[in-house]
Amino acid sequence: MWCRLLWGAARGLWACRAPCQPHRFFGCSSPPLEELFVRGGPLRTFLERQAESEAHLQVRGPELMAVAKLLSQKEQELRETEHLLHDENEDLRKLAESEITLYQKEITQLKHQIILLLVTSEETDEKDLILEVTAGVGGQEAMLFTAEIFDMYQQYAAFKRWHFETLEYFTSEIGGLRHASASIGGSEAYKRMKFEGGVHRVQRVPKTEKQGRIHTSTMTVAILPQPTEINLVINPKDLRIDTKRASGAGGQHVNTTDSAVRIVHLPTGVVSECQQERSQLKNRETAMKKLRAKLYSMHLEEETSKRYNARMIQVGTKGRSEKIRTYNFPQNRITDHRINKSLHDLETFMQGDYLLDELIQSLKDYADYESLVEIISKKA
Amino acid sequence: MGFWGRMLWTLVSGPSGRRGGAQGRAFSLWPPRPPLPRLLNATELVSHWTGVFEKRGIPEARESSEYIVAHVLGAKTFQSLQPVLWTQPLTPQQLLCIQELCSRRLQRMPVQYILGEWDFQGLNLKMAPPVFIPRPETEELVEWVLEEMAQRPHVIEGQDGPRILEVGCGSGAISLSLLTRLPESQVIAVDKEEAAINLTCENAKRLQLQDRIWIVPLDVTSEGSWTHLLPWSPMDLVVSNPPYIFHQDMEQLAPEIRSYEDPVALDGGEEGMDIITNILTLAPRLLKDCGSIFLEVDPRHPELVNNWLQSRPDLYLNLVAVHKDFCGKPRFLHVQRSEP
Repeated sequence: MWCRLLWGAARGLWACRAPCQPHRFFGCSSPPLEELFVRGGPLRTFLERQAESEAHLQVRGPELMAVAKLLSQKEQELRETEHLLHDENEDLRKLAESEITLYQKEITQLKHQIILLLVTSEETDEKDLILEVTAGVGGQEAMLFTAEIFDMYQQYAAFKRWHFETLEYFTSEIGGLRHASASIGGSEAYKRMKFEGGVHRVQRVPKTEKQGRIHTSTMTVAILPQPTEINLVINPKDLRIDTKRASGAGGQHVNTTDSAVRIVHLPTGVVSECQQERSQLKNRETAMKKLRAKLYSMHLEEETSKRYNARMIQVGTKGRSEKIRTYNFPQNRITDHRINKSLHDLETFMQGDYLLDELIQSLKDYADYESLVEIISKKA
Repeated sequence: MGFWGRMLWTLVSGPSGRRGGAQGRAFSLWPPRPPLPRLLNATELVSHWTGVFEKRGIPEARESSEYIVAHVLGAKTFQSLQPVLWTQPLTPQQLLCIQELCSRRLQRMPVQYILGEWDFQGLNLKMAPPVFIPRPETEELVEWVLEEMAQRPHVIEGQDGPRILEVGCGSGAISLSLLTRLPESQVIAVDKEEAAINLTCENAKRLQLQDRIWIVPLDVTSEGSWTHLLPWSPMDLVVSNPPYIFHQDMEQLAPEIRSYEDPVALDGGEEGMDIITNILTLAPRLLKDCGSIFLEVDPRHPELVNNWLQSRPDLYLNLVAVHKDFCGKPRFLHVQRSEP
C-alpha cells in the first residue's frame, strides 16, 4: 500500500516536472534538489523509513543514514537561526544572515551527497565499450553524416583522454561511411557514452543536392559495453570461424593474403567480422572482441529490460531504434528528444568537446533522477 | 578510354609484329594496360586493377589490388586507409608506382614480396624472395608455445629466461615474435640458406631484438651439425615450421609458391618427414630434461611422427599433444623429452 502511494507521489512529482517545464528544469545543471527533498515528500519518507528499519538493503546504507541524520540536524539548526532574523538587535540579524547562507550551502552539499549514495552505479559503468555507427535512411547523405558523427566521437574520446581504436571502417564511393566500429576505453567511458545509443537525425541541404532542398537522413549509434573474461564465457564449440583458407590443404601449401575473418556464434546467430589488419590472428582477435561485446549487451538487455522499461532514457537495443537527437543545420540547432533540450552552434557541437560533454552530462543527470525516483518507490 | 588505350598500347608495345604473344605481354616490364588518361582516385584504381587481374586469372584479384594501392598510399590495408584518401586523386608518381607493383602481380609474384613486407603476430617484417613467407597458421603455433610457457613457469626458474632454438628461421617470424612476447627469453635461430640468415638479421635489427638472438647458418641434415649448438645448450624449447610438403605435392603448388619461394623451405621429401626426423634426432641432445619441441606439420603427420617416435625409443621423446589449426586440421605437435 505504502509502496503504491509513494510510487504515485513520485510519478506525480515527475509528471508535473518533465512535460510542463522541461526547458527550465534541464537548463540548470543539477537535479531539482528542492523538489526532491520537499518536506513530507517521497524521498524524505524513504529516508525516514530506512532509518527506522533495522536492515538496510543498500550496501552504503549506514553511510547514507549518517548523511541523512546530519542533514536533519543542519536543517533544524537552520530553522533555529531563521528565528534570529526577526531579532531587534541589528548585529545579531546580520550574523544570522551570514550563518544562514553557510547552512544553505552545507545543506545543498548534503543533499547532493545523498543522491550520489542512492544512485548506484551500473555493473557496466566502468567498462570499455565498442561504438558502432551505421548509416540509415538517406543514401549518400546519410553516409556523409555517419562519417561526421564517427569523427565527432573520435574527437570526443580525445577530449576525454580516452583510448580510441578504429576496428572497421566501410566507406561509400563519395567519402561517406556505411558502417564503422571503434573500441573506446578510459575513465567512465561507458558511463557517459551509453547515452549516445539510438537514431540520430540530420536535417540539412546535402552536398549532393542540386536544387537546395532540405533533406532528412538518419544514422544509428550503438554502444556495447566490453565484457571481461569473467563477465562472459563463450564455449569455443559454439563458434564457427570462417576464413578464406577454410578449404584446401592450408599451411605451407597455400599462400593467401586474404586475412579477413568472420566469426559466427551458432546458438544466437550473431556474426562478427574484421579485415582491418594484414595479420589474420589480429583480425580474429578484433572480431572476437566485437562478438563478445555484442553477446554481452544481449545478455545485459535480458537482465535490465524490465528495469528500464519505464524510463525515458533507454540504454541498449530498445534505445537503438528510438530517435534520440536531431541535428538541424538550417537552424544551427541540436535537440535531444529524450530530455527535450536544445543547444545551438552545431559546428562547435560536432567538434565533440565541451558542448557534447554538456549534453551528455544533462542526460546523465536526468537518468540519475529517473533511477532515484525508481529507488525511492521500490524500497519505501 | 578505349581509343586512348589502344593508341597508347600501340605506342608502348610497338608494332604488333614485335609483340611476343601472351608471353611477351605477361613478362614485359611495361604495364599490360596503358597509363590511364586522367588521374584516378584510390577506389577507382582498385576497381581498375581488380578487373585487370580477374581477366588475367590472377588469384585474389581484389585483395591484391587493394593491398598494392593501400601500400603506395602508406596504409597496411584498404580498410585502414584514411577515408579522405579514398576519393582523392593520386599523383602521377603514385600511379606509376602502383602500375609497377601491379605488373609484378601479373607475373604471379606473391603480394608479400611485391610490398617487401608483411605482418606476423602484430610485427611488421621485411619479406624478400626467395625466403619463405610466413603463413597465418604459424601465428597459432606461436600462440600455443606462449600458452604452454605461461602455464609452466618452473621451466624458466634459475636462469635469465627460457632459451629457445628455432630450426629453419626463414624471415625470423617465429623467433622474433617469441622474443617480443617473452621479454626474458633468448633465441638461437638457425637456417641453412644465406638469404634466410640475412633476412632474419635484418628483421631482428628492424625490431631492435638483435641483442637476444643468435643467428647461426647451420644445416641440421648434415652429420654432427648439432655439436655446433652445444655452447647454447641446454635449451628449454625447440620450435620449428620445417619444410613438410610431401615431395609429390610440390608440383601442384600455385605459381606464387612454386616460382618464387625457396623449395628448400617447403619440400619435406617423400613423406614430408625428412627435416622433421632430423629435428627430432638432434633435439634430445640439446634439450633440458622435460624440454619441449613444438612443430608445425602436415595433417597426415601426427600419426607418422607418433609411429616414428615409437620406433626410436632411444630418443626418449613422446608426442604429448596435437593441436588443430583454425581450419580444424591437426597442424601442431608438442613433443616432450622424458628423462632417460
